[in-house]
Amino acid sequence: MESRGPVGLVHQHFELVDRLTVWENVLLGREPRRGWRIDVAAARAQVNELAARHGLAVDPDALVETLPIGIKQRVELLRELEREPAILLLDEPTAVLAPSEIASFFATIVALARRGTAIMVVTHKLAEVIAYASTVSVMRAGKIVAQMQTAQTSVQALAQAMVGGELPPLAQRAATPNAAEPALRARRLSARSEADAIEEFDLEIAPGEIVGIAGVEGNGQTALADALAGTIPHDGTLELRGSRGTIPQDRQREGLVLDWTIAENVLLGRQRSPAFHKGPQIDRGASVAFAQEIIEQFDVRPPRPQAPMRGLSGGNQQKVVVGRALAGEPAFVLAYQPTRGIDVGAAALVQSRLIEARNAGSAILLVSFELDELFALADRIVVLFRGRIAGTFAREGFDRGRIGALMAGGS
Amino acid sequence: MSATASRDAAIALAIVVVFGSVAMLVAGVSPLDGFAALLIGALGSSQEIAETLVATTSLLFPALGVTLAFRAGLFNIGAEGQLIAGGLVAGLLGERLAGPAIVAIPLLLAAGALGGGVWGALAGLLRARFAANEVIATLMLNIIAALLAGYLIGGHETTPLPPSSWLPALIPDTRLTIALLLALALAFVLRWVLRATVIGYELRAAGDAPETARRAGIDLAKTAFWTMAASGAFAGLGGATIVTGVLHRFNLALSPGYGFIAIAVALVGELDPLLVTVAAFVFGILQNGAIGMQAAANVPRDVVTAIEGAIILVLSGRRAFKR
Amino acid sequence: MIDFVWLTLIKATPVIYAALGGVLSERSGVINIGLEGMIAIGAFTGVCVSYATGNAQAGAAAGVLAGALLGALLGIAATRFRVEQIVAGTGINLIALGGAAYGLVVVFGQPGASKQVAALGTGGETAMVVAALVLAVLLHLFLFRTRGGLHVRACGENPRAAEVAGIDPLRVRLWATATGGAFAALGGVFLAMAELDLYSDGMSAGRGFIALAAVIFGRWNPLGATGAALFFGAFSALQYTLQRSGIPSELMQALPYVAALVALAGFAGRARAPAADGIPYVPVR
Repeated sequence: MESRGPVGLVHQHFELVDRLTVWENVLLGREPRRGWRIDVAAARAQVNELAARHGLAVDPDALVETLPIGIKQRVELLRELEREPAILLLDEPTAVLAPSEIASFFATIVALARRGTAIMVVTHKLAEVIAYASTVSVMRAGKIVAQMQTAQTSVQALAQAMVGGELPPLAQRAATPNAAEPALRARRLSARSEADAIEEFDLEIAPGEIVGIAGVEGNGQTALADALAGTIPHDGTLELRGSRGTIPQDRQREGLVLDWTIAENVLLGRQRSPAFHKGPQIDRGASVAFAQEIIEQFDVRPPRPQAPMRGLSGGNQQKVVVGRALAGEPAFVLAYQPTRGIDVGAAALVQSRLIEARNAGSAILLVSFELDELFALADRIVVLFRGRIAGTFAREGFDRGRIGALMAGGS
Repeated sequence: MSATASRDAAIALAIVVVFGSVAMLVAGVSPLDGFAALLIGALGSSQEIAETLVATTSLLFPALGVTLAFRAGLFNIGAEGQLIAGGLVAGLLGERLAGPAIVAIPLLLAAGALGGGVWGALAGLLRARFAANEVIATLMLNIIAALLAGYLIGGHETTPLPPSSWLPALIPDTRLTIALLLALALAFVLRWVLRATVIGYELRAAGDAPETARRAGIDLAKTAFWTMAASGAFAGLGGATIVTGVLHRFNLALSPGYGFIAIAVALVGELDPLLVTVAAFVFGILQNGAIGMQAAANVPRDVVTAIEGAIILVLSGRRAFKR
Repeated sequence: MIDFVWLTLIKATPVIYAALGGVLSERSGVINIGLEGMIAIGAFTGVCVSYATGNAQAGAAAGVLAGALLGALLGIAATRFRVEQIVAGTGINLIALGGAAYGLVVVFGQPGASKQVAALGTGGETAMVVAALVLAVLLHLFLFRTRGGLHVRACGENPRAAEVAGIDPLRVRLWATATGGAFAALGGVFLAMAELDLYSDGMSAGRGFIALAAVIFGRWNPLGATGAALFFGAFSALQYTLQRSGIPSELMQALPYVAALVALAGFAGRARAPAADGIPYVPVR
């Protein structure tokens, strides 16, 4: 690869030093000096000037770890802009932004492009591609499969090119059963995770219902999910009728032991269940049979219970996690971004299995940052903003515009 | 034996040969003579083989304890202090206890395991309750154990135990006792616990992927506490077997750093109790051979400690130790 | 009272040096359990070179160099070979303590302790006490006022972000660990050549471990760690002051270690290590 000048890269997961200030992050490696020490006044001025030039207001002395996620992205962007890159690469830049913030973000980016910076955006949000980019390349399995001018293409055409044909249709939704009692009932639930918090959250989910949580990342999704999974303490009441299956946010860190085999991994959470041990000893036969069952139902590759987890692709790892969570028809399923970062085929399979679990009577809470996914799966959408419910929509009344406005804190 | 384990063994052997040779040359001894003295000192006669197995036994107990803790992701650097604590309790109780062997011996061994277990549990408690780093805690407890022992026995050693409290010898007229069989049996038990049981499964989950384990309903604090206690009990039992089987009294110098060398033993053994047993024998050869080497070839035996340190350093990069 | 303060300073000084070494390396992301061994190797090498040359200053310099080399060894293991640093540090300690015990016999022909050698004397002792405090201030200024210090902290918090900014985290960590080893060795030089004029086995007596506690207690901050070292030093001094009180000496000796343990338990929950402390870094490039 050749380029005239440096390449700037804004990562999806920020590469910022949380416990340093904004100016320290922006100028890291290029700090102005006076004598033996850093010239803090000059650094501050430099960052202020840069921020003003690009219309990206920040407080240079703020500690990065205290900033909301959208501002962190601004800091990351400023750090790259400070190097005056010839090419700027942005990896899923709008994943952490509310719909209203997205427009002003792209205004900044488009202005940069006008001033001569080449911009490359990696994204799966096709509408944004059509709206803001001039050309688009479609990648599939590591290869570029299509290149076109955005003016001459459409969201539908891009989607077709991405999938490489038609995807199998999702599982059919059965008619919503009439349940007398909710499977899950949360009253005035308050909890705080490392990332965010929820306050006085009320929620009921009926058997056979998928409730989708819409919202920009950082508005309480982690706290809600962890409180419902029982991994952080909470105030208020939480009633759960029956068993619980969870698909955690970070499958590798929170859901799997990568050094273990599939058969060992499927046992996690069930290691004390009578079906899987005889006296003090683990029943290996039972765990292998259970793994085999999941492998067959979810088409896990390689299809060997003794295969080490680390060798599986992200999609296959996630299939194991989902298979484990849905096994045994749990009364309540917590699914946090169940299709994040996996290939479209695996994603479609996971979505179908979730619908089937719903049809079989599971109450499902689906946290997703993809409105499309929520629209496809949910019976009801709850919009989360700053830890509180900003609005609730029944499936008949799903409204992209209104949900987007509520996600951004509008009314 | 797995490929990793044989590679580790090869690395350890290379370190012994290279460092040992340099140390011998510096001391003005031909490496050939030096290593010959070491091997003869360790394996040259049935008497020496017995002494090598004594060292093997004394290393195996704490090494099994270290293995257990490391498998649970706990850096128990405190086997030395736990071994002293176990030996101390056995020694203090032993000098006051007169009774038939069938009662006295199990009682003293249990007391030693309890002493070491409590010492390990202290570090476990600090970690489970106060999130205190177990590494620093065990390092402090090592020193405190030694000072406490000095205070409690008020001298260099306790009075000798009555012969009825001595562990039966395996080979007459040697210091090799049934402690070796006990250690071997425990190695098999530990292997079974780690590989086949629910408790072992939970413990390995806590070590290999703590957040996943927590979400699978495993209580990490409780696991840490009991693992440290059990790990300490292994080392404490080792201390008790030295008191009841080797020295027949508690002595402030009862351990030439067994608790630290145990880390090297556990590492070379890839944290697999059976391989750890093999490694303990190899290190037993080093420990006992060093005495012969010093006597016959005039190479200071402390060089073996440095070599063991080098083995730990080089093997600390093995996959089993990546968190 | 003056005596007690001076004694506290004397007792704290080796711990201060080692703790400053620990702060520097941990701020860069390397946990140094080997401080104990670096104290010992500094003390032993210093005494040996002083014995060979008759020049105490040359001995001190050699001791510091030996500590830096041992620090570099840990640094290379931690960066190039990405070892588990706690286990590696334990190995470093055995290498140093075993090596020094072996060296005593080879160099001085006797186990246990060296012969007496040319030492730094009372003037040297005072100078090294003051120097420890000055070093603490200098390290503080370095870490929090200079570019190099900012880079060290960035590597300890988020080495990938540092690398993105054009800093080489592995080089910074190696350099910080080696320098930290030199600092710890200064503590050893102080013990063997300022307080005394010989090396004896077990002379470091866990001071490197106390220093590790001081690093945590001092919140990975040079001045904080110095304060913690002085706190532990006061407990050591107390043991001399109370010697005639009838409290057994072993218990008095245990005081600083017990204090460190209690401090650790009471404090650990609130202390926050550098985010990447102890975690091997795999460079992108």
